[in-house]
Amino acid sequence: MITKYFNKVLVRFNPFGKEAKTSRLFLASIPPSQRLTGTKIQSEILNEGTDKEPLIRVIFKDKKEIEVNPSNLSFQELANAFESHSNKLRLRELIERQ
Amino acid sequence: MVRNGGGGLLGARRYATADVSRRVLRFPPAVTAKPGKLKRHGRNTVKPVDSRKTFLVDLYKYLMESQKMVILLHYNNLTKVEDHSFRYRVGSINQGKFYQIRNNLFQVYLKNSRRQDPCAPLTLKDKSLLQWNHPLLPLLCGPTAIVTFKETDPTAIAKLVKLLATMGDKLLMIGGQIDGEVMTNAQLLQFSKLPSMPQMQAQLVNHLQLLAGGHLTQTLEANYRNLYLTLKSHSDNISKE
Repeated sequence: MITKYFNKVLVRFNPFGKEAKTSRLFLASIPPSQRLTGTKIQSEILNEGTDKEPLIRVIFKDKKEIEVNPSNLSFQELANAFESHSNKLRLRELIERQ
Repeated sequence: MVRNGGGGLLGARRYATADVSRRVLRFPPAVTAKPGKLKRHGRNTVKPVDSRKTFLVDLYKYLMESQKMVILLHYNNLTKVEDHSFRYRVGSINQGKFYQIRNNLFQVYLKNSRRQDPCAPLTLKDKSLLQWNHPLLPLLCGPTAIVTFKETDPTAIAKLVKLLATMGDKLLMIGGQIDGEVMTNAQLLQFSKLPSMPQMQAQLVNHLQLLAGGHLTQTLEANYRNLYLTLKSHSDNISKE
């Protein structure tokens, strides 16, 4: 998964829920160097009684926002959801360089 | 003739001895016993007794049974420096210890936690003891670590929560087990707001004294006091004789 175009990340999950695996793998897939270079990562742990739904929200560097509910997604499906826009940004960057 | 013949014989002998030494120096053949049938040190285990898997399952059993507070954390790509500093800082809170665990082996322990030896091969008798729905099992997906404390102390959890806040989103508390009871993150946070154990005991005694006007604590103490006084008088009598 290409993560270098992420500007802000919000991950909200219940560790006992079925969304836990996808959310936790997503959090772990962001490299430590990226946290130092300015990507803001927020994580919120939900409890069983709360009304909030599990959520992964990513704001890209071009301010596009993608929200996904990880409850019914595998990690690969989630990665594909974010990678389609990351690929666009990468292409744009390549063209601008040339 | 003799020399030549002897040399020839010696040569043959040398060749023979060299062959023997080769045989002696050869490494022993690899163990080909089937898993579960390997018996060493009086234990029958699925994996070899001296393997890392057996060691880790034994370690998890030791930690879960001997440590009163076991807190599960999710960790995100800790760098070496962060890992070292966190271990050091956890050690300063009531001698806590930090372990990054292997999920599959921890699952093996949790499922077999009611059995006497979780590493032993499964028998028909033991099948009923397996815990397929252990409450901690859902937490073992993704990178997981545990922090263990020997004694039950809510203030240690409060300090740990503060420490985790300083680490940013690198480490997240996801649940735990305190005195054999599984707790969620919210329950752990509530638990951390309690005062320490000696303070709670003092508060309880105060409440009992206030409510019962001092008689209740005196009544509770009476048996011990009577026993002490009887033994003391007996020892005095013996010493006089």
